[in-house]
Amino acid sequence: MSRIKEFNLPDLGEGLTEGEILAWLVKVGDTIELNQPIVEVETAKAAVEIPAKWAGVVTKIFHEAGTVVEVGKPIISIDTDPGAGPVADPAPASVASAASEDPEAGLIGGPAPGGRTAVLVGYGPRTTSAKRRPRSGTATPATNASTATPPAAAAGIPAAPPAMASQDTAAPVRPAPAPVVATIGGPVLAKPPVRKLARDLGVDLATLIGTGPSGSVTRDDVQKAVAQAAAEPDLTAAPALNGAAEAGSREQRIPIKGVRKLTAANMVASAFTAPHVTEFLTVDVTRTVKTLEKLRGRPEFAEQKISPLLLVAKAVLLAIKRYPMVNSTWSGETGEIIVKEYVNLGIAAATERGLIVPNIKDAGRLALPELATALNDLIRTARSGKTPPSDMAGGTFSITNVGVYGVDTGTPILPPGESAILALGAIRPTPWVHNGKIKIRQVTTLGLSFDHRIIDGELGSKFLRDVGAFLSDPKTAMLTWG
Amino acid sequence: MTETINLGKALNHGLRRALENDPKVVIMGEDVGKLGGVFRITDGLQKDFGEDRVIDTPLAEAGIIGTAVGLAIRGYRPVCEIQFDGFVFPAYNQIVSQVAKMHYRSKGNVRLPIVIRIPFGGGIGAVEHHSESPEAYFAHTPGLKVVTCANPADAYSMIQQAITSDDPIVFFEPKRRYWEKGEVDLAASLDGAYPLHAARVARPGSAATLLAYGPMVKVALDAAAAAAEDGRELEVIDLRSLSPVDYPTIFESVKRTGRAVVVHEAPGNLGLGAELAARITEECFYFLESPVLRVTGYDIPYPAARAEEEYLPDLDRVLDAVDRAFGW
Repeated sequence: MSRIKEFNLPDLGEGLTEGEILAWLVKVGDTIELNQPIVEVETAKAAVEIPAKWAGVVTKIFHEAGTVVEVGKPIISIDTDPGAGPVADPAPASVASAASEDPEAGLIGGPAPGGRTAVLVGYGPRTTSAKRRPRSGTATPATNASTATPPAAAAGIPAAPPAMASQDTAAPVRPAPAPVVATIGGPVLAKPPVRKLARDLGVDLATLIGTGPSGSVTRDDVQKAVAQAAAEPDLTAAPALNGAAEAGSREQRIPIKGVRKLTAANMVASAFTAPHVTEFLTVDVTRTVKTLEKLRGRPEFAEQKISPLLLVAKAVLLAIKRYPMVNSTWSGETGEIIVKEYVNLGIAAATERGLIVPNIKDAGRLALPELATALNDLIRTARSGKTPPSDMAGGTFSITNVGVYGVDTGTPILPPGESAILALGAIRPTPWVHNGKIKIRQVTTLGLSFDHRIIDGELGSKFLRDVGAFLSDPKTAMLTWG
Repeated sequence: MTETINLGKALNHGLRRALENDPKVVIMGEDVGKLGGVFRITDGLQKDFGEDRVIDTPLAEAGIIGTAVGLAIRGYRPVCEIQFDGFVFPAYNQIVSQVAKMHYRSKGNVRLPIVIRIPFGGGIGAVEHHSESPEAYFAHTPGLKVVTCANPADAYSMIQQAITSDDPIVFFEPKRRYWEKGEVDLAASLDGAYPLHAARVARPGSAATLLAYGPMVKVALDAAAAAAEDGRELEVIDLRSLSPVDYPTIFESVKRTGRAVVVHEAPGNLGLGAELAARITEECFYFLESPVLRVTGYDIPYPAARAEEEYLPDLDRVLDAVDRAFGW
């Protein structure tokens, strides 16, 4: 592009087609500045001074004062780089204009400054093509988008630009929808097509734990549920028994759904895949009970409700450290035993909707007061029915405290994916041989079920023995293993 | 006789052909005659067809449309130009109360074959009243048909089809696209033309459906091209007709892609996008992987020219919405 630029008579008002040059304010050879008035032009409406569009030296003036010039015709040329020596290419810029049919610069439809097309009203539309701002990724999940980028931009919905946002009358910034998190007992989250699929396949969405964004139920969840249901006996479709009609009025029919259905599926899956062995140990926990009383007096536990479950949990965590194999998963698909170095400690909790087993993530890293807090939070959340699905996924070892119902112990069934579960029985005052004499001691029975594919009798027994040893003398055990 | 011409020139050719084909066609509006229109859409027509057929009117939009109603009743086919979108409101009463109602009022005996051309939308750096998108006001009114073109070929055929229609049609022209060029077959017969009230798949795709019309079709196509670089094939539908809307084409697409994003310049609140979103939700509910999203102008008066690029939906805002649709 030539450094000599020609300036055309601009369209100074609506409908202007020509103007008369009244007076030149500069002459050839003058050095002019940007926006310096260079010429006075009279239009049909007014006499106006036209400012220079470029700084430089005037090399040519095309029309004398008094001449009537058409809009779009060159009136002056300016050397925009006079310091650069002689001009190599004196050809005026307008000669190299676009296609023959296109209007000349400055005329309607012709080129206008700033890469635009000249129009009668306005700066004119841009002729440049759309540019794209750099983007980080393509498929941004809604939940990420709402935090990673400004809400309005992430949302792609109208939000007032900053200048407008400060005005009360401006449209308020519409934030991206807050991520909804599915809760147990709350409405089920699922996209319409997934709902349709579930309905077509006869799957009750309320029975599923969603694995999609925000805990929503995905297509996969539904299809897996169907596959699982196909593997189970269909109780609802069982043929009516003889006499069922008479019995009908004295029978209550509870639809199998929700947590009950899920529990059933898990238990069936577990009981028929993992060969269970259960061992029992009756143990004197008097010292545990006394230790708890002392802990209750300490400021670290001032706000916490603490129960024997806390020390049982601690005993389990310490024993797992000694026998990591107990904290593992049998992965038939990959032909591996996955031994976990973290413990997501599941606690079976009875809720109105049924049994759930939420877990404390990485419980092995928690100090005792933190563990107490986590346990209480877990149980409170479970009882209020607000346990998020994420809390129920990924458990590695579980404890079920059936003792609170006054029973001695049980033979728990493993939660799928876990290799051991401990049942804690009721703690009762019992005649017990203590230091060679019969005394009334606080005694309980522990029941440990384990997956016999992974855990042999020896390992299971040692683990249970150590848990028992901790509970019979927690202080010594803490000093020894903790 | 395919030629590469811009959208404005295509309209000029279309109007010329309509004047040639039917002596009852008259063009009327402010500065449409001697000046050839502020955008030169009627350039040269008065010179060739005379002042009785290409009529410079007073600056009185109500008068232009009111006169057109009378002419139409007497058998003419008036093609009225409203100089800018924001100038249509003095004529709004005539359009809604008379133009839209006459056929119904007369039990179908009197038809008003009137075309009301309105350059609409922003992007030309203009002053107040010169950049508005009032299409929803008219699409909301039963008795009117509302169409808009997005490329020169459609401009050429659609303006002629609108003029031959016996129903009143509000014909929105994307003023910032007047200088966009495209191939136009100036000899093509209207008989084989794409139907006036049919939407067109402007770019086929499978990942999501972008719905746009008028000036925003280009934005949607640009966004689709950009998304394709990321491996996401967006389908772009040019609605073309805003009333009636060609819903079957839209539903077919959305059922296939599962996601829809509507793009328009007009403010979002109660704009075309709101109706499209509602209809799509009703008809395609079980196919939707995400809510129907809208990328629109803000709910404010059209801003000053220096701020309009912040206001107008652009490539990035469309891509953001597409990302969001994939986040569900």
